[in-house]
Amino acid sequence: MNPLIYFWLFLKASLLSIGGLGNLPFLNGDLLALGWAAPSDFVTAIAVGNLSPGPNGLWSVSLGYLTFGWLGAFMALIALSLPPLLIIIIDSSYNRIENQPIVRDFTRGLGMGVVGLTLAVSVSLAKASIMDWKGILIMLCSLSLALSKKIPVIVILALASVAGILIYGF
Amino acid sequence: METTIQKAYSTPARIFIDWLLIGIQSFGGGSSTFSLIHQAAIKRGWMTEDEFVRAWALVQIAPGINLVKLTILIGYRMCGWLGLCAAVGGLLLPSAAVTVLMTAGFTTIRNISWIQAMMKAIMPAAIGLSFAMGVQMAQPILLNAHKEGARRLGAHIFILIGATMLMGITRLSPVVILLLSGVTTIVLFFFIPTQAPEMLRDINS
Repeated sequence: MNPLIYFWLFLKASLLSIGGLGNLPFLNGDLLALGWAAPSDFVTAIAVGNLSPGPNGLWSVSLGYLTFGWLGAFMALIALSLPPLLIIIIDSSYNRIENQPIVRDFTRGLGMGVVGLTLAVSVSLAKASIMDWKGILIMLCSLSLALSKKIPVIVILALASVAGILIYGF
Repeated sequence: METTIQKAYSTPARIFIDWLLIGIQSFGGGSSTFSLIHQAAIKRGWMTEDEFVRAWALVQIAPGINLVKLTILIGYRMCGWLGLCAAVGGLLLPSAAVTVLMTAGFTTIRNISWIQAMMKAIMPAAIGLSFAMGVQMAQPILLNAHKEGARRLGAHIFILIGATMLMGITRLSPVVILLLSGVTTIVLFFFIPTQAPEMLRDINS
């Protein structure tokens, strides 16, 4: 593994994407193609990112650790900290154009696009790691609990782990 | 009206501690972090509710993690570049360290059979959460579109399904798909005007 290319892939993914999971399709494509990560690394990293404190976007720090140890985690953290600084520039220039209809429409389309990407990635993750109908059932339960907005994410994952031990542990 | 920025109070050290507390309290990922930031920003007068909403909207169109961008905007307003670094450092350093430790712990215990059973269920649950995030992100946009009439709503759903299909089936870069979504929306909206507000009132009543 070349550390510079490794860092660049993480930086590029963060630079070209919006949101905590936005870099997933980039990293998924690049790292798998190079053989620098296994599909299971991604699923593990996303699970840890959901559990650990701070933004879910820290999942890529977990991925960095899984694929390249402490150095990988450090590079992933730097790579995800730099691109957001552009918001300072965008903040000052967006002030001037935000009321143009064409800008508002474009932003709206971008929003739908972001949602579409999230859904497509979720589908491909589901294909890779859900093996049986019990898995589908757990996924649906978690989805509906999350949508109810009454149960904290950490409780949903705790419930899933208990269910896992009961279903698969014996 | 109270002032939005309290610079005398917000020294970089104080900012760092405030954000550190937000960072380590928010076990369970982004949604708890977001509500903690919102609570602190309003309560401590870092931002007004209006400023906060505008910042959150702006965050949606800039690269990177949304919560990091929000932290940058608030930190910068509190105390310039120093405030920015203090806020981002406070939010990310401890939580990234915990993330790595949790990952490390996970790699050493993942061969234990009951841990494997647990993970076998946590993975589908995490995927369910990711679907839920997509639905929650779509909700406000679609509700807004619904107010603009059925054809506008149809156009939104078309873009949403189109982006999903392109990502799932083709090997196009996500950026290309995002740009296509934006440009297609401009074109579609040009041909589908918003329904007049009077009509909407009739429909809703």
